[in-house]
Amino acid sequence: MKEQRLNSSWVNSLLMLPALVLLAIVFAWPLLDSAWLSTQASSVLTGLTPLANGGANWQRLLGDARFWQDAAVTLRFAGVSVALELVLGLAMALLLHQPSRGRGWLRALTLLPWALPTTVLALGWRWIYNDPYGPLNAILRACGAAPFGFLTTPASTWLFTVLADVWKTTPFVALLLLAGLQSIPAELEESLVLEGASPGQILRRLTLPLLKPWISLALLFRLAQALGVFDLVQVLTRGGPAGSTESLALYAYLNAMRFLDFGYSATLVIATFLLLVLLTALGWLLLRRRALEPSR
Amino acid sequence: MIESMPTAPSPGTGLRIEGLSRRLGQRTLLAELNLQVGPGECLALLGPSGCGKTTTLRLLAGLDAASAGRILLDGRDITQQSAGERRVAMVFQSYALYPHLSVADNLALGLRIRGMPSKEREGRIAAVLELLQLTELRQRRPAQLSGGQRQRVALARALLRQPRLVLLDEPMSNLDGQLREELRPELRRLLCGGEQPVVYVTHDQQEAMGMADRIAVLRDGALQQVGSARELYERPANRFVAAFLGRPAINLLPASGPRQLGLRPEHLQPVRQGGIAARLQRREWWGNQQLLWLETAQGDLRMLVAADQSLPEQLQLGWRPEHELWFDSHSGERLAAL
Repeated sequence: MKEQRLNSSWVNSLLMLPALVLLAIVFAWPLLDSAWLSTQASSVLTGLTPLANGGANWQRLLGDARFWQDAAVTLRFAGVSVALELVLGLAMALLLHQPSRGRGWLRALTLLPWALPTTVLALGWRWIYNDPYGPLNAILRACGAAPFGFLTTPASTWLFTVLADVWKTTPFVALLLLAGLQSIPAELEESLVLEGASPGQILRRLTLPLLKPWISLALLFRLAQALGVFDLVQVLTRGGPAGSTESLALYAYLNAMRFLDFGYSATLVIATFLLLVLLTALGWLLLRRRALEPSR
Repeated sequence: MIESMPTAPSPGTGLRIEGLSRRLGQRTLLAELNLQVGPGECLALLGPSGCGKTTTLRLLAGLDAASAGRILLDGRDITQQSAGERRVAMVFQSYALYPHLSVADNLALGLRIRGMPSKEREGRIAAVLELLQLTELRQRRPAQLSGGQRQRVALARALLRQPRLVLLDEPMSNLDGQLREELRPELRRLLCGGEQPVVYVTHDQQEAMGMADRIAVLRDGALQQVGSARELYERPANRFVAAFLGRPAINLLPASGPRQLGLRPEHLQPVRQGGIAARLQRREWWGNQQLLWLETAQGDLRMLVAADQSLPEQLQLGWRPEHELWFDSHSGERLAAL
């Protein structure tokens, strides 16, 4: 009996091996390689040959104003867009949860932005925001207003980049929260209705508490994605103007692909990775502790 | 045997349902239901699934809107009132306990929503927890309770509101058989005999007969008969009621012309002469009784006799004429005895 179980657990481990090997190749190895590269000078100056330079890359990072600015941009971008997505996604999920005719079609339709490749939608938005020929400015002109340079000043560019991201990823949050809503039995709400609860009270006292695990999940997923934002800003703004939309991922890309400084790029990648791990772990810990708290 | 037929409710007290209907598109879920339930009376709505009993309950609660008809509670027309205004308590089949709240908070939530001061609230919760012997469990979450305990919490939540009408939707169907039997008297003690009428939905005839003062049998959204368990059993309005009440089910002999004879299994007995010839096919021994499956020229019959009665393979079956139930073979309506 014992032998059999030992045997089966050995078989289990063996069956997991291909997945582990795959993960090691696509995840652990590049990560470790980058970590190693972040301690090397590897640029055009060294003929792209890695030469150990101790902590020079990391020292440079600490004193790099552009890094700190990009970190701030990335955090602000992730914080604001994820917050907006959660609020809008919840509203959308609540609407889609209402019984109505053609609900299936409506759900499919709302998912469309999320299904589009980011590059495609970023090109689309670049045209929509175009000054002076884009559709938004056409509408402004039709209303008799002067054309607006959506992507010309740092503040407005940042804002409209956030909006483009919110437009794309809100459906994802909505879908996740809709699944959560559908897992709540209808009688719970009916029981509260019999108590005379208003829709607002039902939301606050019942729906939101029961949706908490789903909200946490959406939050962690989206936070991890938003902190690594690259394709949207690369296509829509190229990080400009004046670095106002330059994310850490974009800065790392520029260092590698434009300045051919692979050592420093690797340092940025690892720094971004650490930031991401730190924030998601923090979020996870906070949400988990909340969930374990006894109700009042 | 429950036979206490309460006095007819005087106007202004109890529940009165007049011509209540619900249609969804082409489908009629409930057709022209008329019923009265007196104060403190427990009425069971009995029928197979899809007969309209849960529909009726949801209309009474205000969770669904009536297509026609009126609901009067204590003389007031509540048909147009919202569910929250009706002061109706409902115990759901699943109990509908809030999974994220402790037992005490499950009870408190409704009172909080109604804005009851916390001192009064705590007092009432403590009293109802005591009444249902739940005080020890007040900090537990629903997931940490047994099925029977969950049901008690659901009951406590219903009683706490001091409702003017109590509705129960299959409250025992998630419990095992023995617990169900044990809980019936407790449920009656807690719910019935107060001021408020009680409407109890079940598909279990034994539960209906054990719990309710009167039973309303529904089929396909239409009321078949309402009366005490004994009235329904002894004088069923039609073949459906006769077949739905009583286990093992009534023997319906093949229709001969316009009439069909029904005989309850316990009313058949072996006779020396006369009667009809039968051959013993199979026997189920139940300890307190035995059920015999008999083959006759009239088709297969079931007979219920004492457990220790021994019978030959071949026998003659008889019955007393007053036990005959005659039905119109076409409409199924019961005909007056001949």
